[in-house]
Amino acid sequence: MAQELLDRYLKNVAKVLPEAQREDILQELREDIRSEVEDKERELGRTLSEAEQMAVLKQRGNPFALAARYRQDDRSVAFGKRLIGPVLFPFYVKVLSFNLGLTAVVLGTIFLALGLSGQNVSSGSMLSTSLLQLLIQFGIVTFIFTLVERQSAKNPDKWDLSGTGGGLRFKKIDMSVDPTPMPRISRLESVSIIIACTVALIWLTGVRSYPFLILGPAAAFLKLAPIWYHVYVPIVLLTVAEIVRAAINLVKPDLVLFRQVYGLFVHAGGLLLVYYLIRAGVWVAAEQAGEYARGVAITNQLIYYGLLVTGALSGAMLVVRLMRVIRGAKGGAGRVGGTGRQVMPSAR
Amino acid sequence: MTHGTNHSELFENLRLELRRGSLVLAVLAALKKEQYGYTLRKTLELQGMAIDEGTLYPLLRRLESQGLLVSEWREEEKRNKRFYQLSTEGKAILKQLLGEWESINESLRGLV
Repeated sequence: MAQELLDRYLKNVAKVLPEAQREDILQELREDIRSEVEDKERELGRTLSEAEQMAVLKQRGNPFALAARYRQDDRSVAFGKRLIGPVLFPFYVKVLSFNLGLTAVVLGTIFLALGLSGQNVSSGSMLSTSLLQLLIQFGIVTFIFTLVERQSAKNPDKWDLSGTGGGLRFKKIDMSVDPTPMPRISRLESVSIIIACTVALIWLTGVRSYPFLILGPAAAFLKLAPIWYHVYVPIVLLTVAEIVRAAINLVKPDLVLFRQVYGLFVHAGGLLLVYYLIRAGVWVAAEQAGEYARGVAITNQLIYYGLLVTGALSGAMLVVRLMRVIRGAKGGAGRVGGTGRQVMPSAR
Repeated sequence: MTHGTNHSELFENLRLELRRGSLVLAVLAALKKEQYGYTLRKTLELQGMAIDEGTLYPLLRRLESQGLLVSEWREEEKRNKRFYQLSTEGKAILKQLLGEWESINESLRGLV
């Protein structure tokens, strides 16, 4: 079997495998698949065709579903009946952790500022605000993943035939010219990004009308500074741009260079926004002019430090991404679109 | 026609359920002799107990973690393969399970 095809299949299996046993399981699966292919080739007296090799992998099913069977914990989300199965569960946890983590940081900053400025906020109010925010995030993410789960349950075999379901797609490449495995962007990763960004968009829309969603109990005496209304549209556009990118990669997972270059522009746009935000100098103001001066000052100070750290980290990441794109372009940008011809060497 | 389809689907589900219960016994019995995954799969298939890889390998790991199997990686035909065999505990459990299986068979024969 072509090493590239097998590697791609196993790479997808690896994403959901328990880490401690990953290498061991992959080695055993690789050996099993190779033995089966060799057996069939011996039987037929010839090497297997592309379609026959695909059939061997197809018989094993979606790589994520296969890997999920090794997880003895059988993690899933159920409310009466199962809503999110073990295949999607690891991606669900990733998106949820990201969204809840971000919400926790925002709330933490607000509460810290309130505490330092001596504002009297009851612990009940803090708790109810936090719970409401976390429940909103949890509800939206869970709802979207439930829809994805239902959709994928309807098409369990779609992953390898049409290339739109599970991260594996057969592509012709000339192994004799370029033996490097062609990289692919996992479709579940694209789906996860679409979900995370959609939740962010819904939240952003809500924040504009209900500052309570970001300021929590502090919304009673604080308001967002004008800079946020100036950068609101660019933030929404950048989020939409990321959704568009992920949607394109969902349909065309082999467009790795496209993602890298596109991502570079989105990232640069984000960095520019951070720059404008830092320049603004004021990010929250008192609801009634002249009140809560100390609270406003401390909140602004915390946001300032947060923006500086975000800007520094984001700048460093941009440089790393830029270097990666340059290396990728030098290493054969033409290959990263996948246009070559295939020669399938036997495993023997 | 619909009734026929439902009947065959129902039968298939019940048949799978029945076989699922016997898989552990089949795997333990086949591993009285040391084998690696692929040959074990072929052995079971030849004996009419076909089992897909997605079920077999996780099952082997579970049985090993329960102490019923032992395994080791070894080179054969210039390739590394993982060989499984019944442990002492596995042999004892297999004997008990076979006794239970015989007893179930006898009871069923009396009923049908």
